[in-house]
Amino acid sequence: MSYLSVEYLLLFLAVVIVYNFTPKKLKPIVLLLASYAFFFYISGKLVFYLLLSSISIYGAGLIMKKIDEKRDKKLEKTSKEERKTVKEKYKRRKKIVLVFTILFNVAFLFFFKYLNFFKKISNKIFNIFNINHRFSILKYAAPIGISFYTLQALSYVIDVYNEKIEADKNIFKVFLYLSFFPTIMEGPITRYGQVSDSIYNGSKVTYHNFCFGFQRILWGFFKKFLIADRLNAVVKVIFKGYMHMSGASVALGAIAYTIMLYMEFSGTMDVVIGSAEVFDIKIPENFRQPFFAKNITDFWSRWHISLGTWLKDYIFYPVSLSKPVKKLTTFLRKHINNRVSSLVMGAIALFAVWSLNGLWHGAGYNFLAFGYYHFVLILLGNIFEPTIVKVCEKLKINRKSTIYKGFQIVKTSLLVFLGEIFFRAINLTTALRMIKRIFLHFDITSIGSEIPNLGLDVKDFIVIVVALIVVLVVSVLKEHNKNIREDVSKKHIVLRWAIYYALIFGILIFGAYGPGYEPVDPIYADF
Amino acid sequence: MEKLIEILEELQPEVDYETCEDLVDGRYLDSLTILSLISEIESEFGVQVPTVEIIPANFNSAKKIWELIERLQEDI
Amino acid sequence: MKDKLIIVVKSILFALIFALIYYGLSYLLIPGNNTKKYGIIKTGEFEILQEEENTIDAIFIGDSVVYSAISPMEIWNEFGYTIFDCVGMSQLTPISYEMLYESIESQHPKVAFFEADVLFRDEKNIPIDRYFDQTFKKFFPLSTYHNNWKEKTLKFLNTGDDFTELNVYKGYKYIHKIKGVTEQKELKETKKAMRIPKANLDAFQKMVDLSEEKNVKLVLITNPNYYNFTYERYNAISKLAKKYGLEYIDLNKDNPLKIDWTKETKDRGVHLNYWGAKKVSKFIGEYLKKTGLLEDHRNDEKYQSWNEAYRIYKNNLK
Repeated sequence: MSYLSVEYLLLFLAVVIVYNFTPKKLKPIVLLLASYAFFFYISGKLVFYLLLSSISIYGAGLIMKKIDEKRDKKLEKTSKEERKTVKEKYKRRKKIVLVFTILFNVAFLFFFKYLNFFKKISNKIFNIFNINHRFSILKYAAPIGISFYTLQALSYVIDVYNEKIEADKNIFKVFLYLSFFPTIMEGPITRYGQVSDSIYNGSKVTYHNFCFGFQRILWGFFKKFLIADRLNAVVKVIFKGYMHMSGASVALGAIAYTIMLYMEFSGTMDVVIGSAEVFDIKIPENFRQPFFAKNITDFWSRWHISLGTWLKDYIFYPVSLSKPVKKLTTFLRKHINNRVSSLVMGAIALFAVWSLNGLWHGAGYNFLAFGYYHFVLILLGNIFEPTIVKVCEKLKINRKSTIYKGFQIVKTSLLVFLGEIFFRAINLTTALRMIKRIFLHFDITSIGSEIPNLGLDVKDFIVIVVALIVVLVVSVLKEHNKNIREDVSKKHIVLRWAIYYALIFGILIFGAYGPGYEPVDPIYADF
Repeated sequence: MEKLIEILEELQPEVDYETCEDLVDGRYLDSLTILSLISEIESEFGVQVPTVEIIPANFNSAKKIWELIERLQEDI
Repeated sequence: MKDKLIIVVKSILFALIFALIYYGLSYLLIPGNNTKKYGIIKTGEFEILQEEENTIDAIFIGDSVVYSAISPMEIWNEFGYTIFDCVGMSQLTPISYEMLYESIESQHPKVAFFEADVLFRDEKNIPIDRYFDQTFKKFFPLSTYHNNWKEKTLKFLNTGDDFTELNVYKGYKYIHKIKGVTEQKELKETKKAMRIPKANLDAFQKMVDLSEEKNVKLVLITNPNYYNFTYERYNAISKLAKKYGLEYIDLNKDNPLKIDWTKETKDRGVHLNYWGAKKVSKFIGEYLKKTGLLEDHRNDEKYQSWNEAYRIYKNNLK
């Protein structure tokens, strides 16, 4: 099921109604039950694994808390000189709990998502060395959202370990944190510290929150039904028949896919955040106008933000500040210089981050390539940054001018489009072949004869362009920190309602649904 | 403190460190810059910055960073 | 208290205006001139009501198997008969009866074909979302006809053609996808007959009575369906046909139309694609010709919209 469906909308409404008529104290329980029912509805018996993860982090959190309490008691009686050793001792105990819980949770993730991939790789290696053994590849369904909730589970135990948050005694709260139905399938990957307060508040559904939440949901539907579902046909045709098409069309396919992905994923996030808003629960944003990014690093701080910050907090910094890396960088600092040293430190950490980012999206060489593509771009960007600054100074290019910024935005977007080919292509070879076609057989002249065969007519393209302009205008306003929704809500009721009706009937009439259109499957729900 | 400002100026010259209070949240310092900053701090002030301390609240202004350094120095 | 009242009033007002716009737009987008006579909801639900009255020669009643197998435009082009597919996804026999009733009321066709496989569909096995879907479509016709905005805009752009009044496919759903059968199915010959649910038998009885009363030739048919066909089904329908003295056309046993199941299906043998539909439609045209009940309307002044529809249909084929 997609969040962007009438089915979800109805289920959601049902929950809102039940929630509304439940006494405040039981409201969070309604959410918890709804979340588990929702998960059971889409994943069946696999709900068991979600339960296991929840229990493991809840228990581990409490154990670590106990250890902390014991340590604090002991510290009161300890002299200053011995404090450090006492601290170390308890830290080691906590670490055992932490490592065990992490392994436990990662094991499920590995089993469901990566086992077959590694089996395949091993089989290939066996083949090379003539070893007469093959792993059998079994197919089984993974619990939906496992990639999302496992990361949340890990962040909880790590944060407790680091004493960033306190382990929660309320088992329902921890369970709800991991299973909250709007975020369970496609994120955002929330942190306990961010949402734990509002998620268990049991706030009333106010008129204001209800309207605002539904506005946001509507906006998500607009993006998906008008743009993403329409582009689906184009994307399918091009990614399937790229061999017989000009590079220009393949490039068009990459752009269409990227736009589709953005509209689908960010549209889903609108539904997720809007749904939570109805319950007065604040979910952090997952997108911030990614296509206004100046460089790839900037892009990733605007696209799927919650994944980026997760990797930053739990992979990037821990890796770059780990003992072996530190030893290496101290050595480099002494023998070469500071800049090289921190570049190397960053490179190692970035490599880890992007390997995991690639793999997180899927077990496949194309996803690894997707990760390393961005790794290389970010690294190159950092290595050449000083050179670019110098060149610009020499050529008297103002790096703050609008033209230069525009150039940066276009450059970044083009690099992103290219990268998404790895993401969408069925395998690495296909992706490379497509990229080759773009560069070697661009042939812009044949695009005119190819566009009519993409499965859409002129009127479809007009709808796409108009809808994209609407999205663009909204994005520009947001980029300039305008709070559009507050602005709209202050407008005269006639104008305000006109906007709502326009949005609703825009979706109902110009939405790409019904015969002749095939909706996009939720792309991120598979990760 | 002056030494710290000097380091910051070198890493990211486009910010006024006396007044800016959202170095991280305002995205003036990206993660790689923070890494360089940490290694500079560690070699300059002889402290170890643990991962736990790398949170926006500790890096949002020159003053906050300085407070962090002082705290870490005391800890030893 | 006062605040609450304002909210309630506002909500009701919002819903009212919504309904007004909704059905206004539906009125604009549902094809045909008969919306006034039958109302928006009914015209939206029964596609055949959108056709000019008493212009349809024969109808097909059934489910998705029908709308992927019978293309009225193909029959029109070759034989000049006007056929309409009165179809619905996972149709139930009581609905089939309603379809027949409405069609006879507005069109009085001479022949009515009924996809007999529908008889085996048990009401109890229909997933809830199907029910929901059907009810939803019934009361919210816009979701079915919203894509007509494309034709309507043509009117505004003044291309001279007024497509909206024209239903090009006449119930047929054009599919040019190929997904052939990969595994051969084993069929066991048997004398056993599959059970038909009571509710369906009752509804069928009503269909038979109605066609007798209105003098419509009711024909049982099972369109090619590699996936569903069994001897148990075949036997049950044969028995039923015998009981009521109806004709039964089976297009499955021994594959009389020589359907190539590796190429002429869109989903491994459940539904035919365009190439399969062409074969079945041709067969039906020939069958109708043999009955001698119908006339060729191709040169009839009154039926020129069908020639226009065919021109568009041809254009839309890929």
